[in-house]
Amino acid sequence: MGGLLALYAFDDLWNLSNHIYYGLTALDHRGSEKYVACTIGNGKVKCYKGSKERISKEITTPLAIAATCSNEDMDIYLGTYSTNDLEFVMIGDRYSKIIDIVGEKVASRLSSSNTSIANKVLTAFKEVLDEFKGRDIPSFLAITNRGEILAYRSSKGLTPLTLGGYGFDLALISSESRAIDILGGEVRKWLRPNELLYLSKYAVENVRVNSNGVEHLCAFELLYMARHDSIVDGVSVYEFRKFLGRTLARHLDADVDIVVGVPETAIPYAVGLAQAINKPFEIGFVGTGRHMRSALRIDPLQKLIAIHLKMNPVVHVLEGKKVALVDDSMVTGATMKTVSQILRYRVGVKELHVVIASPPLVKSCPYRLMPIDIKSLLAANLDTENAVKYLEVDSLTWIKPEVMSEVARSFNIRLCGKCFGVDFVG
Amino acid sequence: MKVLLVGSGGREHAIALMISRSTYDPNLYVVSDHNNPGLLRVAKSTGGKLYRAKTTNPQEVLKVAEEVSPDVIVIGPEEPQFTGVPDLLRDKGFSVFGASSRCAEIERSKVFARTLMWKYSIPGRLYFRAFSSLEEARRFVEYAGDVVVKPARQVGGKGVKVLRENQAYLLEEYRDVKKDFVVKLFKEMAKYVDIDAKVLIEQRVEGVEYTAMTVTDGSYVLALPLVQDHPHVYEYDIGPETGGMGSISGPGWVLPFIEVDEFKRTIEIIDNIVKALQTEVKDRYVGALAGQMMLTALWGPTVIEFYSRFGDPEISNMVPVITSDFLEMIERTIDGRLAGYKLEIRDDVAVVVKAVAPAGYPLNKKVAANHPINVDEGRIKELGCTLLYASVEELGDGTLRTHGSRAFEIVCYDESHEKASKKAELAISYIKSLDSWPLIHRSDIGSIELLKQRHHLAMRIRRTYKARARRGLLGTSIVWVPGKGIFFDPFASPVMTR
Repeated sequence: MGGLLALYAFDDLWNLSNHIYYGLTALDHRGSEKYVACTIGNGKVKCYKGSKERISKEITTPLAIAATCSNEDMDIYLGTYSTNDLEFVMIGDRYSKIIDIVGEKVASRLSSSNTSIANKVLTAFKEVLDEFKGRDIPSFLAITNRGEILAYRSSKGLTPLTLGGYGFDLALISSESRAIDILGGEVRKWLRPNELLYLSKYAVENVRVNSNGVEHLCAFELLYMARHDSIVDGVSVYEFRKFLGRTLARHLDADVDIVVGVPETAIPYAVGLAQAINKPFEIGFVGTGRHMRSALRIDPLQKLIAIHLKMNPVVHVLEGKKVALVDDSMVTGATMKTVSQILRYRVGVKELHVVIASPPLVKSCPYRLMPIDIKSLLAANLDTENAVKYLEVDSLTWIKPEVMSEVARSFNIRLCGKCFGVDFVG
Repeated sequence: MKVLLVGSGGREHAIALMISRSTYDPNLYVVSDHNNPGLLRVAKSTGGKLYRAKTTNPQEVLKVAEEVSPDVIVIGPEEPQFTGVPDLLRDKGFSVFGASSRCAEIERSKVFARTLMWKYSIPGRLYFRAFSSLEEARRFVEYAGDVVVKPARQVGGKGVKVLRENQAYLLEEYRDVKKDFVVKLFKEMAKYVDIDAKVLIEQRVEGVEYTAMTVTDGSYVLALPLVQDHPHVYEYDIGPETGGMGSISGPGWVLPFIEVDEFKRTIEIIDNIVKALQTEVKDRYVGALAGQMMLTALWGPTVIEFYSRFGDPEISNMVPVITSDFLEMIERTIDGRLAGYKLEIRDDVAVVVKAVAPAGYPLNKKVAANHPINVDEGRIKELGCTLLYASVEELGDGTLRTHGSRAFEIVCYDESHEKASKKAELAISYIKSLDSWPLIHRSDIGSIELLKQRHHLAMRIRRTYKARARRGLLGTSIVWVPGKGIFFDPFASPVMTR
C-alpha cells in the first residue's frame, strides 16, 4: 500500500518544497521505501523519484502530486499519457494494470474531444471511469500540464482520500487526514468511494462516478494502516481501536496482571482492554531508531530487524507478571513468535496471553492491498492448539467477525472482510 | 414618495426590492454604472427610471438627483461614499441615507478603524501595525509570526493574506510568501494616493465569521438579523477569497451557532464604534454600518473589519424576512427618529443566498467576462425564490452578459437551511451559460455538513474564550521573552522589533 498527497496553491507565490517533504513524512507509515512527486514546468509534466529529501527539493512550484509506497516493485503505479496538446501523469496508491487502461482511454478520448471545452479533462476522466463501473480501481492522483489536479477515491472505497484546505491559499488532498494537520490545514471532506475531485485555478468540482459495486473500506485501514491521530471517513482511528480493545475483554478468559500492546499500532487496543478489565496498562516495549512498519516488510530478514529494533522490553514492568499482550492482527505469527521469545527467555514472564484485535486472517487479499501469501498465514494453516504451542503462549484469543461487525456498525462504517473469510464487517 | 438609489449590483437590487414593497408607494429611480436588468425592472415597475452614470462621480450623481428631485436618496456601495457623493448631495439639500465620506473612513481605512478601536478601548480589537514603507513592512513581516497581511485601504474585499503559522518546520515557506505578498501589495496599492499607509499587518485570529448589519441615525443603532457569508470561492471552503459566494441567516435574529449574548455584545461593539467615530470625525452617521465579525478565542466577538454600507450578499438575506416598512426605516434614519422604529421579521424561516459567477472569478475576471447567459426567471419564481442581478448587463438584443464578477444571487427560504439550499440548487439549474463557459456556485452553502462544522468550531472557540474571560484574559496575548520581560503587546516585543 502507499500514501497519496496532492497540493494545490491558488496563489503562484508558493513554493511547496517543504510541504511535500513534511506531507510525505506524515504518510511515511504507509510506506517509506520509495517516493515519487510530479509537477509541471515549461508546459510539461515532470516526475521525480528517489528519497523524500531529493524529490521535495525538485518541487519549487505551487502545485504537485506525490506518493509514498511500501515496496519498490509492487505498490506504486506511475503512468504518463499524452495527446496533441495535453499531457498527464497518474499515480495509484497500489499496483494495478487498470490504471494504465484508464489512462490510455482518457488520452484517446481527449485527443478526439472539443479542445475549447473548459472542463474537458474532468469530463473525459468521468466518462472513462463510468465505463468501468463495478470494477476495482485503486485510488489515484493525476496532474496535467495545464495545471489541473484530479483525485479519485478507489471505486470500492478500499483506501481513503481526504480533502483539506489551508486558508484561502491551498487545497490539500491526502490518503490520511494527519498529513493535512501536519501541513497546518483543516479537513474539509472525506471523499466518498467513486468520487472524482477536480482542482484547477478556475474550478474545483467533484463528481461521483457510476457505481454498482459494494463500497467498503479495507478493514486494515482502521486496524493497522492509519495512524491513531488520523480520522478516516469521519471515524477517529484512536477511538475505533480503543473501542475494539474494550470488546476484547469479552473474549479473554485468563486472569492477567497487566496489559501491554505491541508498539505502536496496538497501544490503543491495549488501553481499551485494560480499561475494560480494570487492570493496569503498561508500556512494555520501547523502540530504537526510525519507526519501521514490520507488517509492510516482505523480506523476512528486514521484517525481523524491524521487530527487534522496536521491541526492546521494559524488563521490570514485565518480569514475573501474567501478561495480556495485545496486537492489531497476526499474519504469519512471526512478530508474535519473536516477541514471545523475548518475553519468555529474556524477561521471564509468568504467563503470556496473546489477544488479537482482529478476526483470524484466513484468505489472501483479492485487491492486493496487503502483501499476504495464503501459504504463510498462521490462522489459515495452524489450528489454535498448534498455534499456541508454536508461539509458546498460554492462550491465543481472536476477536470474532460478528463482534468486530458490531463495533464497525456502532461507528457507522462498513469494512471489507474478505481476508477474514467474510464479505464485509459492519 | 420619490426615491433615488445609487449603485449597480446585487446589493442595490435587494435594497430596491425592499423599498418597492413600502406602503409609501415609492417611485424608485436608480443611478447605475451599467444596465442592471433587475434594477431596471424595479425602476420601471414603480414608475421610476434607471439613469446610467458613473456612481463614484459626485457631479454626475448630482445631475441625476437634480433632474429627479427625490425625497430620499439611498447610497448602496462604499466607493461613492469615499468619493464624497453623499457629502455633495447633502450640501445641495438632499435627504441622504448613506455614510458621509468622513464616516465612511471606518471602512475605507483599516488603519483608521483599528486605531479608533484602540483609542476608545472598544472590545474585539486586534494588535496591528501600519506601514507606508515597503522595506519596514518586509522587515517586520519576517519575524512577525502568526499574522494577517492586508491592504490598509478597502479594495473591494480582496488581497488579504491569512497564513496560519503554527508549523515551525514550514516557517521559511510562510516567510517567503508573506514577504513576496507585501511587495506585490505595495505595488497594487501604489495607485491609491488617497491613503498614506499602504499595508496593515495584524494579529491573526481564527474562528467563526459572521456579519452584523445595523442601521444608525447617529444616536440609535438598529440591529438586523445576523448573517454568515461564505468567502471561499469553491465548495467545502476551498480556494481564494471572494466578495462572498453566498450567505445564510435565520431562523430568527441569530445564527444557529451564535449565542444571543454574543449577538448582544456584537451590537454593543458597533454602538461603541458609532459613538467613537462621530466624536472623532465630528459628523453624524446616517446609514448602514456592518461589522464583519469573528467569534475568536481571543475576545469572543472580534472585529475583522467594518463596512459603511450593507453587506453584499448579506443584505439579500433580508429580502424574504423583513416584514416592516424598509423605506420607513430609511426615512426615520435620515430624520433622526430611528429609535421609534420597530424592525419586524419573519422569524420562522431559514434563508440561503447563493451567488452564481462565471468561472475565472475571482482570480481572472478577464476570462470570466463577456459570456452570454440565459435565465428562466419564471421557474425560479415558481420555487418561491428571488433572483437578484449583480455583475451582469442586459444588452440591446435582450441577452445577458457577464461582467466578470458574481453575476446573480439566488435568494431562497424554507423551514431549514438545508431545504432552502436544495431549492436554491434547483433555481440555479435555470441559469444557463449560452457559450458552454462554466458557471460556478457553491452547492454546500446551507448544507447540514457545513452547519455542523461551523457549530463544532464555534463550540471549540467558545470554550476557550469563556475560559479566558473567567481569568480576565479577554483580548490579551502575553509574550514573555526570557531576560527581557513580559510584553502585553505582542508586536512590541523585542522579537518583533529587532
